[in-house]
Amino acid sequence: MTLETILFILFAGIAATTSVLMITRSNIVIAALFLILNFGALAGLYLLLNAQFLAVTQVIVYAGAIMVLFLFVIMLLKPEHERSIYKIPGMKIFAFAIAFLVFVQLAYLILFSSSSEKVSPDVQASINAGTIETIGRELFTNYILPFEAAGFLLLAATIGALILAKKKIE
Amino acid sequence: MNFQSLINSLQYIKPEIVIAVVIVLVVTTDLIMGKNKSLLPWISIAGLIVASFFVIEQFSFKAVSSNANGSIGMITADPFGAFFKIIVIVSSIIIVFFSLSSNEIKEAFERHGEYYTLIFGMILGMFFMISSADLILIYLSIELLSLSSYILAGFTKHSLRNSEASLKYIIYGGASSGIMLFGISIIYGLTGTTNLYLLNSFFHLPQFGGFIFWLACILIFAGIGFKISAAPFHFWTPDVYEGAPITITAYLSIASKAAGFALLIRFIKVTFIDSVDASGYWQLLNLIDWKSFLILISILTMTLGNFAALWQSNMKRLLAYSSIAHAGYLLLGLAVLSDQGLIAILIYFAIYAFMNLGAFFVVMIIANKIGSEEIDDYKGLGYSMPFLSFSIAVFLISLTGIPPTAGFIAKLYLFIALVDAKMIAVAVIALLNTVVSLYYYIKVLKNMYLVRPEKEMPAVLVSPAAFAMLIVLLVPIFLFGIYFTPLVNLAKSSIGLMGF
Amino acid sequence: MLTEFGKIFIFMLTAILFTVVAIFVARLIRPARPTHEKLLTYECGEDTIGSPWVKFNIRFYVVALIFLIFDVEVVLLIPWALVYQQFGVGGFLVGFIFLFLLGLGMAYEWRKGDLEWIRPELKHSVLKKTKTEKQILKEETVA
Repeated sequence: MTLETILFILFAGIAATTSVLMITRSNIVIAALFLILNFGALAGLYLLLNAQFLAVTQVIVYAGAIMVLFLFVIMLLKPEHERSIYKIPGMKIFAFAIAFLVFVQLAYLILFSSSSEKVSPDVQASINAGTIETIGRELFTNYILPFEAAGFLLLAATIGALILAKKKIE
Repeated sequence: MNFQSLINSLQYIKPEIVIAVVIVLVVTTDLIMGKNKSLLPWISIAGLIVASFFVIEQFSFKAVSSNANGSIGMITADPFGAFFKIIVIVSSIIIVFFSLSSNEIKEAFERHGEYYTLIFGMILGMFFMISSADLILIYLSIELLSLSSYILAGFTKHSLRNSEASLKYIIYGGASSGIMLFGISIIYGLTGTTNLYLLNSFFHLPQFGGFIFWLACILIFAGIGFKISAAPFHFWTPDVYEGAPITITAYLSIASKAAGFALLIRFIKVTFIDSVDASGYWQLLNLIDWKSFLILISILTMTLGNFAALWQSNMKRLLAYSSIAHAGYLLLGLAVLSDQGLIAILIYFAIYAFMNLGAFFVVMIIANKIGSEEIDDYKGLGYSMPFLSFSIAVFLISLTGIPPTAGFIAKLYLFIALVDAKMIAVAVIALLNTVVSLYYYIKVLKNMYLVRPEKEMPAVLVSPAAFAMLIVLLVPIFLFGIYFTPLVNLAKSSIGLMGF
Repeated sequence: MLTEFGKIFIFMLTAILFTVVAIFVARLIRPARPTHEKLLTYECGEDTIGSPWVKFNIRFYVVALIFLIFDVEVVLLIPWALVYQQFGVGGFLVGFIFLFLLGLGMAYEWRKGDLEWIRPELKHSVLKKTKTEKQILKEETVA
């Protein structure tokens, strides 16, 4: 077993365990903390795939900012009464059905579909493409327009978030 | 690094640059001027007019931008895109004028800066949707459009319905764009590219096809179908249309739908085309049976829209369901998969923009006067507001498609395209749908003219600005109903998509 | 194959392991004799009153939202900061436009007063200066 395999098993194990723990906790704050751990483990998996930029993004944006938002929303909503969601009849069956569907889909994708090997010839190059420098170079040559469009998207998001939030304050 | 090809490509996004500059201008003006907001609508209109000059210039282009290394870029400039951009610009100008006479928008005076900024955010998103040839830019532009419209849907402050509309829109929209992104990622995984032109050349390879590919395309269609409110993805439409400020409702029903259709047409035509034969029929690659799929979706959409509209008592909801039905007709034009069908779509959109905007405008003015959008409250309006009632009658008749209004021409060209492609059964279903739609449109007219109001209402005068606006909207309805050759010629000259 | 990030990550992993191991070892070694008093939430030695779930001010949420948006912008700026030198003025301009939009959003928040917290309005009498310094001094000298 190489170091990579060991690390993969470690991270994948953490990710799977924490995600199960997250959805089974009755205390929503504890569930949120498990989600942070889950995000961290996913970042590790990204690193193992040589997707450094994704890993950094995962930690900064997901485990950082989004989780802060989650926790504030939890505190804002006073979720004491939210535990009754399991009392809706058929909820669990429905959830299991959806989860099973997604599982089958992913399994199918992984096991029975390998057309990506047939078509894209340069797999090694695509693995090396995950470094921040490569992404930066791509962003500033081929993807300038989406980059600036994202700037406008975020400006609209800033203004919009404040409008919707202010609605509540006033 | 060679930036020359990038700088050369800048000429293809001149309209977008203008819109982007207007966004910045509107925000800075709003920040500097503080309480004085009267400048903003005029900046918006000036910006739109400048942008329209550059859009008209694009009618003579047929090009795609190139990347720094000379490969195919992600922006196209072609007559097809220019036609849809003109529709967006015209409806935006009309919407700005709507906003000037809308009570709902006037009440939120201190937020006018945000209002115009977000409208321009929508316009920028729509422009990119119309002209982009790359799945990444398509996704980003849809997000830009959606994000701005979510917020505008919940713009007015003190209305609960309004917040509900915004929330529903965000949830449905977020889910559908996530689904679309999943589809895009599968396509990227299969091919290693997101560029529509490169995808097309990949799809010519023999090994493509199969369930996963089919699934990915349906997922992408789901994202676009949400924007055009096609049948299984239409659930948000009535609630959002009812709850949003009426200017935004009108705007969503025209501009956002136009951009969605432009995107769908470009996606299908550029990505899946094999060849175009002499009589203008598109031979698509044998990967997905788009024809049957689109026919199925469109019949579902129009039937659902029309039958649900029969039971509506709120005017905005009724128009929402009617706009779903119209999306069905338009999809039928695409399902023909021929240049003739495309011409029919373009004509239909140009006319639909005027009649739908007109209908919403009259509903808005009536709501300003009587404070209600319920059809039951329209009783006897034919006598107290003769001109307004006459105009809404014209718009509704045109939406049904009865001559001599322009709506008839729109439907006529659609049915000709269907019959020419030997899709008689589908044409008959669409015709029956039109008959159903007649019932609910006429119900409104009956309430206005034949039912006496419970209490006598005094005659109400229309303000000169609204009067002028109505004339502007009414003239094309009659003009294109009688003298439609220029419109048809324009549509015929605008079917050129970059590449094919 | 580990990249430079891999080394950093192993470093982080070691750090995490250190704390986790320390906590678990401590749990094994230390004596555990819990009583009811010991298990109570410690709040300055007082008994806790009411639920710890208090409703937060929505302003926290606004701040978190703004933080999220700027966080995403920062993530997009990292690649730019690493490579813009290679592209000369063009590369700088691309990032500058992005930064300008970011600044515009910031200016918007500032101008519209969204960065200001609602402070509790002080009672008029507390805030109002009834006497100037000179008056006070005079009174003191008289006294």
